[in-house]
Amino acid sequence: MTDDDKSGSEHQPGELSGPHLPILNQPSTRRTALKAVGAALGLAAFGRAVSPLWSIPENVSVDEFLQQHYKELSEADKKKVFERLEAETKENYGANVTISDPQPIPGVRFGYAINLSKCNGNGACMEACNKENNHHRGVDQSYIRVLEMSKGSLDMEHGTTTFDHTVPQDDKFYMPVQCQQCENPPCVSACPVEATWQEDDGIVVVDYNWCIGCRYCEAACPYHARRFNWEQPEIPAEEVNPDQGYLSNRIRPQGTMEKCHFCLHRTREGRAPACLEACPTGARVFGDLNDPDSDINWILKNKRVFVLKEELGTKPNFFYFFDS
Amino acid sequence: MSMSSTTDSIQSPVESADLIRSYPGFLWWGLGEATNGGLRFYVWMFALTAISLVGANAWAHQVAEGMIVTNMTDHVSWGLYIANFTFCVGLAAGGVMMVIPAYLYDDEEMHKVVIVGEAVAIAAIVMSTLSVVVDLGRPDRFWHLVPGIGRVNWPVSMLTWDVIVLNGYLLINLHIVGYLLYMRYLGRKPNPNWYVPFVFLSIAWAISIHTVTAFLYCGLGGRPFWNTALLAPRFLASAFVSGPAFIILVMRILRITTGYTAAPGPARTLIQIIRVAMTINLVMLASEFFTLFYTGGAHGASAQYLFFGSHGHYGLVPWIWTAITFNIVGAILFFMPSALDRGSVRITACVLCIVGIWIEKGMGLIVPGFIPSTLHEIVEYSPSLVEWKVTAGIWAFGILMLTVLLKLIVTVFTGEQGTAEA
Amino acid sequence: MRQRLLVTGLLCAAIGGGSMAMTRIVADNAASVSDSTMEHSAGHDRESATRPESERRATTFAVSIRKPSGPPRIATGVHDLHGNAVTVACSQCHTVRQPNHQNKAAGDLDEFHGGMAFSHGTVSCLSCHNDQDYDSLKLADGTRIEFSDVMTLCAQCHGPQMTAYQHGAHGGLTGYWDLSRGPQVKNNCVDCHAPHTPQFPRMQPTFKPRDRFLDKPRTEH
Ligand code: SF4
Ligand code: SF4
Repeated sequence: MTDDDKSGSEHQPGELSGPHLPILNQPSTRRTALKAVGAALGLAAFGRAVSPLWSIPENVSVDEFLQQHYKELSEADKKKVFERLEAETKENYGANVTISDPQPIPGVRFGYAINLSKCNGNGACMEACNKENNHHRGVDQSYIRVLEMSKGSLDMEHGTTTFDHTVPQDDKFYMPVQCQQCENPPCVSACPVEATWQEDDGIVVVDYNWCIGCRYCEAACPYHARRFNWEQPEIPAEEVNPDQGYLSNRIRPQGTMEKCHFCLHRTREGRAPACLEACPTGARVFGDLNDPDSDINWILKNKRVFVLKEELGTKPNFFYFFDS
Repeated sequence: MSMSSTTDSIQSPVESADLIRSYPGFLWWGLGEATNGGLRFYVWMFALTAISLVGANAWAHQVAEGMIVTNMTDHVSWGLYIANFTFCVGLAAGGVMMVIPAYLYDDEEMHKVVIVGEAVAIAAIVMSTLSVVVDLGRPDRFWHLVPGIGRVNWPVSMLTWDVIVLNGYLLINLHIVGYLLYMRYLGRKPNPNWYVPFVFLSIAWAISIHTVTAFLYCGLGGRPFWNTALLAPRFLASAFVSGPAFIILVMRILRITTGYTAAPGPARTLIQIIRVAMTINLVMLASEFFTLFYTGGAHGASAQYLFFGSHGHYGLVPWIWTAITFNIVGAILFFMPSALDRGSVRITACVLCIVGIWIEKGMGLIVPGFIPSTLHEIVEYSPSLVEWKVTAGIWAFGILMLTVLLKLIVTVFTGEQGTAEA
Repeated sequence: MRQRLLVTGLLCAAIGGGSMAMTRIVADNAASVSDSTMEHSAGHDRESATRPESERRATTFAVSIRKPSGPPRIATGVHDLHGNAVTVACSQCHTVRQPNHQNKAAGDLDEFHGGMAFSHGTVSCLSCHNDQDYDSLKLADGTRIEFSDVMTLCAQCHGPQMTAYQHGAHGGLTGYWDLSRGPQVKNNCVDCHAPHTPQFPRMQPTFKPRDRFLDKPRTEH
């Protein structure tokens, strides 16, 4: 290495003494030429190394790349975006779908409650969610996880989600967990780009076309409610649910975050969530917290209700109760 | 340097124009200088480039096929990348904190070390930024993070803060290093008005980047393992170890390869800093340990898994005990008197502490935050080959940058001495 | 859904020896529901509520309850000339037999219902079955009640469940949560609870998310 220093310092005194453009002083040696060749080779090698990226322009159109945040889209923009997404779904999944954008019903704030005395852990809700929300079939994705818990403890450490026996077991109870649509959602504060926010009816949504996939929200959520698209979801054309919402169950792009949205494409039209309809035990109750006469409010008033991890101050709009 | 006279600051307009005109010249010269060297230098640079390219290739695959090629899951949603990010931020902060004694105590001897620290900081910041970029599921949407054209969740999101402070820190340090080098290159005395305020700013900023990075984790109420007020102080303490240790290593390598030396004084100062910081770090680790295990409960679950394994899962146990052993042995070595004069002892201690802290702050801090998950499921994680490749690529690129910077620094500083002698 | 059908099927079999069909009553307007004895009062409650003013006053859709179609018919195992199974009413046999008020379990029955599973507290057969008219049921005070109105009978003992049911906290539903936008259909007691063995049956979960962690992590790629 000492040779290098010498060769280095040989140039220096001259260059350092004159504060004028040394580019002119630099002799055009063979070395410079070699460096140029080296740089060219290096660039070529870099181009080769990142060649898998060249497939991206096919998948990400210019329009998609430049698409603005949901809240900045005008009605006309939305129409164009939805049409593009419908066409892409047709092309990539072979399914004809309609993408809608139902808005919150004025004055409504959604609440959901689960009767833990009824739930028997059969998991029909998970399956319904998978079908309704166009989840990745490869991993049987679902926004819901059903925990099998030991009677006598609410400590989830004694719970498991991988049980595979007839239910209910006598010494167990069952607790489905999904997004609690927190009133004070830590996931929303976490997001660096406002790709996820709370709507007026309390539903926390994600703009799948704005999310950068940093997964900070997933780290922030205390309820394991968020799911990341580790790869492009696979869904057979005949299984694609064609009734899709932009902020809800449209097929999500790879590398973005998703979560339970209380089936807003259904519930904002007045319909019950898919998981509720599927529940064979009738353990699920859904409704408007602002309506004093709603079923959900009757439960809050007449049952002993609790929320998960209340001490965290997330103020869930999702409740659990027991009979009697 | 800091004592330079004020006459330098009074420059005629003509001279100022000259300065600006010759700045591109300086850059061009720097480029030439950075790519000059002997066979060993070229082999070194070639190897680093090759590793970087392997990393770039692995990353390109990851972007095209999806993050499925990593071993991260919805349960452990951050892994090696963010672990490495955390360490690099610490390195960046630690590098500059060396500046504190140099300027506060006006220790002339330290200045040669300080500029190396700044260079380390620049390389480390670039590495940490790259670590975040490779962790994104949609790097093509990176522009969403850019204030003005994107949509920035400021001041609420800690991640936004982090992006801002990291970039600010990079700019400050680029300015300081660039300015000092440029002045030396011109053969002038640097004007303190042009860099001393920035040096102080960068000291404060160094603390802020590390604090904000700690807040990134400890602000999450749902992750009891991270949700401790001690996290930020621990980050700072370990940064005061890894930073100086890394600088000692770099100085050592510079001495061997280029003969660029500083008097023994700075090294002693560095070791003093490390001694104190490492002790504080270990004390805080111990008190953390106490709270976690004496009271138990939800806070203890991750720690239980980390240190002893739980429910038949022991994935991180070897990692953390390696880290603790390295840290303790490293600390003991630093406390031996021979650390001050025997190079081998010092270097071993540095390597041990760097590796120890890399594990402790990376795999030992990020991963157990996710195990058990928020629903208390235990899903283990170990990085995939792609993740190792990408991380190695980032390190290779960082070291490549550092080599170039150091080469410039050494050339300019030793060159100036030469002129002075002449 | 598969499970749901299965459960419902099982229950049908248990209730009526396979002869009793469930009729799904989907009402489009309030008028057609008035015949349902167990009419849910939610529709009326909502009129007095204060939530989205304009919508509240809009048309209120009906809540309808699935109903058993009527008294069960017993298969005889014989087919008529058209190949249809010949079924008989309960009264066919019971009009010529003496009722025994002591019968409480299948074992007590020596002839026809011997194979039946029975596990429903300490009630006897004639607590619910009407010894005056076996094609109907009876309340505790002896009032005759149709099979299709069985929920009134259940509610005599299961008051808290009935209250919860009336407030949507028991029983499940399909259709609309918002009755200003569409109708709701609710289950009947016997949709889920076989009257003779009302314990909700055990089930086998059929769907599990196959998270990545259940597969082997990829180390090579
Ligand atoms: S449950 Fe999780 S994802 Fe849902 S709102 Fe709360 S923090 Fe966000
Ligand atoms: S993953 Fe997407 S939604 Fe979640 S914090 Fe990052 S950008 Fe926001």
